[in-house]
Amino acid sequence: MHDIYNFVSGPLVWVSFVLFIGGCIYRLISMAALAKKKDPVVYDYMNLRYALRSIFHWIIPFRSENMKRHPVFTIVTFAFHICLILVPLFLFAHIILIKESWNISWWFLSDSTADVMTLIVVGSCIYFLVRRIVQPEVKFLTSPSDYLILAIVAAPFITGFWTYHQFAGHKVMGIIHILSGEIMLVAIPFTRLSHMIFFAFTRGYMGSEFGAIRHVKDW
Amino acid sequence: MKKKIWTLCSVFVAAVAVIVVTAYSQENVKSVQDSAFKTKMRPGAVFLHDEHNKKAEIDDCGTCHHVYKDGFKVEDETSEDRECSECHKIDGDPVPLVTKYHLRCKGCHEEKKAGPIMCSECHVR
Ligand code: HEM
Ligand code: HEM
Repeated sequence: MHDIYNFVSGPLVWVSFVLFIGGCIYRLISMAALAKKKDPVVYDYMNLRYALRSIFHWIIPFRSENMKRHPVFTIVTFAFHICLILVPLFLFAHIILIKESWNISWWFLSDSTADVMTLIVVGSCIYFLVRRIVQPEVKFLTSPSDYLILAIVAAPFITGFWTYHQFAGHKVMGIIHILSGEIMLVAIPFTRLSHMIFFAFTRGYMGSEFGAIRHVKDW
Repeated sequence: MKKKIWTLCSVFVAAVAVIVVTAYSQENVKSVQDSAFKTKMRPGAVFLHDEHNKKAEIDDCGTCHHVYKDGFKVEDETSEDRECSECHKIDGDPVPLVTKYHLRCKGCHEEKKAGPIMCSECHVR
């Protein structure tokens, strides 16, 4: 167990962080270059004021017409993203491992709070899954890779919950947890999860075109 | 027959007494728990003091119960009578003290490639 644990919680963490951060930088640069070549007007229309105005309206719940029309989805998706980002960054177990390795630490959530937030993420993933299967207009746009991405995102939360509660086989599950977390990090720049890095630019461009050119709201 | 039952009973009572006394005695510690952790997040770490030290071949109490002065370990002094937190103080933030405990236990386990290293192996629910 020592050897496997040390490998997945040591070198593999480095590999996944390098691929995650390096991948994000690479995707941003190559996308910027592609836009310059194929769609240079993007650069002319981009306008900081209107971009920020639009981003502002879309990161606040029920600030857009579309969100008002889909209240349940809005609540689920905001709860999902908030928990998704806060839990791994502020989980005590993660903080303590970082402290032991690099002697740095920061604020953390109580284990019981993190536990509830983990369940919110898993519950939201189930909601997204059911929605994809049940709603015709969503089903139409769904490809098998969408299910795979959903599984990649849910996996660290399910396995982390399992390990924390020490259900049967929790030692092996702990190893799988670390692996699944690493897979998720690496998947962010190279799959549709890259909306994490592109969101601000797609939204910002929409805001710029609608605000500065068409003089209408885009929310 | 009666005598047999009596012998059995006294053996049983003696056995229970031995178990109870060893379980509660200071000598044979079964878990590590520092009173400085006010709100506990995890169960106390399982630690069978005597068995551990026999197996790990630790004879010097100062290996864990050390005393430091001006950044140097005092070789002939030990601190069995004190909790770690008396020196490694908690100032609102438990993280530094948790790390002291972890590095003392898990750090050695990593070095020797033996003993528990995952959360659930020590903080058994
Ligand atoms: C990259 C390396 C990672 C390592 C070494 C790691 C390590 C751990 C450890 C040791 C635990 C505690 C298990 C226990 O209490 O026994 C844990 C729990 C958890 N981790 Fe990770 N983790 C990693 C990545 C991630 C990622 C990327 C995510 C999410 C995106 C994540 C989400 C969680 C969750 C949700 C829990 C359980 C929280 C709960 O239910 O209380 N982890 N992790
Ligand atoms: C700042 C970061 C992020 C922003 C602004 C963002 C924004 C969004 C938005 C706008 C949606 C579409 C649903 C909606 O209208 O709310 C969405 C869906 C989703 N996001 Fe994110 N996201 C971020 C980070 C992440 C990360 C880090 C992950 C996973 C690693 C993630 C996983 C997902 C998933 C799985 C869905 C869709 C569920 C489905 O369609 O089946 N997001 N996100």
